[in-house]
Amino acid sequence: MKHGWKLVGLAAAMSVFGLAGAAAAQDNGVGAAKADIAKYSKIPAFIAAGAPFDAKACMHGKSIMSLPANSSVPFLSTIDAAMTKVAGMVGFDFKVWENQGQVSQWVQGMDFAANNHYSLVDLLAGTDPRALGPQIKAANDAGTTVTGSHVTGYGQPIPIAGVTPIPIDYKEAGKLIAEWPIVKTGGKVNAIVLVTSEVLSTDPMIEGIKEAFASCPDCKFKVIDVSLTDWATKIQPSVQSAVIADPTVNYIIPIYDSMSQFVVPALQITGASDHVKISTFNGTPFVIDMVRNGQVEMDVGENLDWIAYGLLDAQMRKLCGFEAVTDPKIPLMVFDAGNAATAGVPAEASRGFGDAYIKGFKALWKL
Amino acid sequence: MTMSDMTAQRHERRQLWVDRSERIGLIVAWLVVIAAFGIARPGPFLSWANFSTIFGSQAVLVVLTLGLIIPLTSGDFDLSIAGNLTLSAMTIAVLNVYLKLPISFAILAALGVGCLIGAINAVVVLFFRINSLIVTLGMGTFIHGVTLWISNSNTISGVDFALPTAVIVTRLFGIPLAFYYALLVAALIWYVFTFTSAGQQLLFVGRGREVARLSGIRVDRVRAATFLVSGLLGGLAGVLYTGTTGSADPSSGLSYLLPAFAAAFLGATSITPGRFNPIGSVIAVYFLVTGISGLSILGISTFVQDLFYGGALVVAVALSQIVRGRQERTS
Repeated sequence: MKHGWKLVGLAAAMSVFGLAGAAAAQDNGVGAAKADIAKYSKIPAFIAAGAPFDAKACMHGKSIMSLPANSSVPFLSTIDAAMTKVAGMVGFDFKVWENQGQVSQWVQGMDFAANNHYSLVDLLAGTDPRALGPQIKAANDAGTTVTGSHVTGYGQPIPIAGVTPIPIDYKEAGKLIAEWPIVKTGGKVNAIVLVTSEVLSTDPMIEGIKEAFASCPDCKFKVIDVSLTDWATKIQPSVQSAVIADPTVNYIIPIYDSMSQFVVPALQITGASDHVKISTFNGTPFVIDMVRNGQVEMDVGENLDWIAYGLLDAQMRKLCGFEAVTDPKIPLMVFDAGNAATAGVPAEASRGFGDAYIKGFKALWKL
Repeated sequence: MTMSDMTAQRHERRQLWVDRSERIGLIVAWLVVIAAFGIARPGPFLSWANFSTIFGSQAVLVVLTLGLIIPLTSGDFDLSIAGNLTLSAMTIAVLNVYLKLPISFAILAALGVGCLIGAINAVVVLFFRINSLIVTLGMGTFIHGVTLWISNSNTISGVDFALPTAVIVTRLFGIPLAFYYALLVAALIWYVFTFTSAGQQLLFVGRGREVARLSGIRVDRVRAATFLVSGLLGGLAGVLYTGTTGSADPSSGLSYLLPAFAAAFLGATSITPGRFNPIGSVIAVYFLVTGISGLSILGISTFVQDLFYGGALVVAVALSQIVRGRQERTS
């Protein structure tokens, strides 16, 4: 008899899950996507990545050097400027190794950090650890901790020993830029996804995109891979041909928003601007301007100032012997025509996210 | 008629045939490419939308290639032309978006910047007698630094929409106006090269500077003019670039340099084989772009575009050389 009740319970549970699954399939994943978009459309709240600690005391006598992928990229120079400001506030030595993206300059920077006994050197957002194997080993041998920030997703390892990752939620960002068209089309997306596969963060973003579309049976997408150095010459013709080859394409998803400047003319020339929209990620100011002007429909943004606080929090915890941060709690936010102006006119990096995080970090670090 | 007369006639006919086939070789190759992709994907590839897109989206590359062939004809290189494009585009964006100056003024300023770069190239090359390859390479790097400086390394969007309207939004026979601007520039250069004494002087200078000088041609003046015109066309390419994207960014324009050189050398294998010529250059750009569009429509990965670009250039130049070699052996 007992077994009989168990079977009835199992059948009931199965039918409930079956109904739920059927409901999800019926709405083409629109409900879940809508909930996610709503969640990321609000001003984000501050969440600490760990327990409070006395940053000033524990960072006394320690030093950090930032080695950005390319100092002439505004995204990176803005983060470095903010990190310099925050380090000054906490009271430790912080240096930026200015460079123009050449591997030889990165090598020089790594050698400088090791020779001058920096406590930590951070490979920031694209400085490729795979190109610095011997230097990373030399720095580790000299007692310098090496971190790789804003380059991998949660749980994604850095493919070289001796580097501690400080990840960003790239998978969620990928999911959001796919969920936006799912919501807008009622689950009838036919998208072209533009990727740059040589960048480490691309993998988790594609994972997020695939996850979003997996819950939308009537959605389909095609991936076009364009190398970083070819953006200016290949994105436009590739998008033009893809839109002509398949006139039912209704969304272009450039996974990095600076790609959009080459997608917009492609849509204008093919006469597809009115029915093909753009959903993208990064929150670069000129693309938020494009959102405000109606050329791009949605851009998932990050607050560069918040990134600076979050990365330094993780780096200080590493140097002070706390548990490694696996999620620095740096939030994402959806910018569309409704809120793009909150980022400023013209848009500025870090505006539109509120300022609760500044108070939050100060309290967290006991400043 | 003797036996030797008949042999000479046969030889002449054959040479004429070889010469004609070389002139139209690239056009035939273009038609073959169109036919091949047309058979593979007739619907989208043979549509007017596809051809209007092919014609309307490459004006920047056409103008940049035309800007290159002028100094190339006189035996000089202008490696700064892509940097010139980028700086001119950024000049428009900074003046119009940041400083709120009228778009017409910003365009004139960009063209002025292009001419200034050409003038500096000319002065340094001719006054100090330095190889143009070195001078323009240095100048290209220098002006890239200036571009990063004036833009604060930012991409600037929001250029007055009158410019995109005049470049890609307005269409004639379904093709954006940018295409006709590029054709106009090509026709002008063709006219100058073919029907004016300036064009002939340019050719003489390119074939042999010393001989040209002894013939009474003011070689330095001709070379200076080529740098100026190249600078002006670099500036014009910058205007068209800004009109196409509605924005300017500090480095993307630089990636046009190698495709422009590829088109210039490929163009020199047709129409007037062995000479850089505007019609051949225009055909070369559209031949390359047709191939790339076809590959994209077939859904083939973008790395194949590089194979096509590089492969087409090497094969065309090699074929041209084989024909030329035969001509030399038979003559």
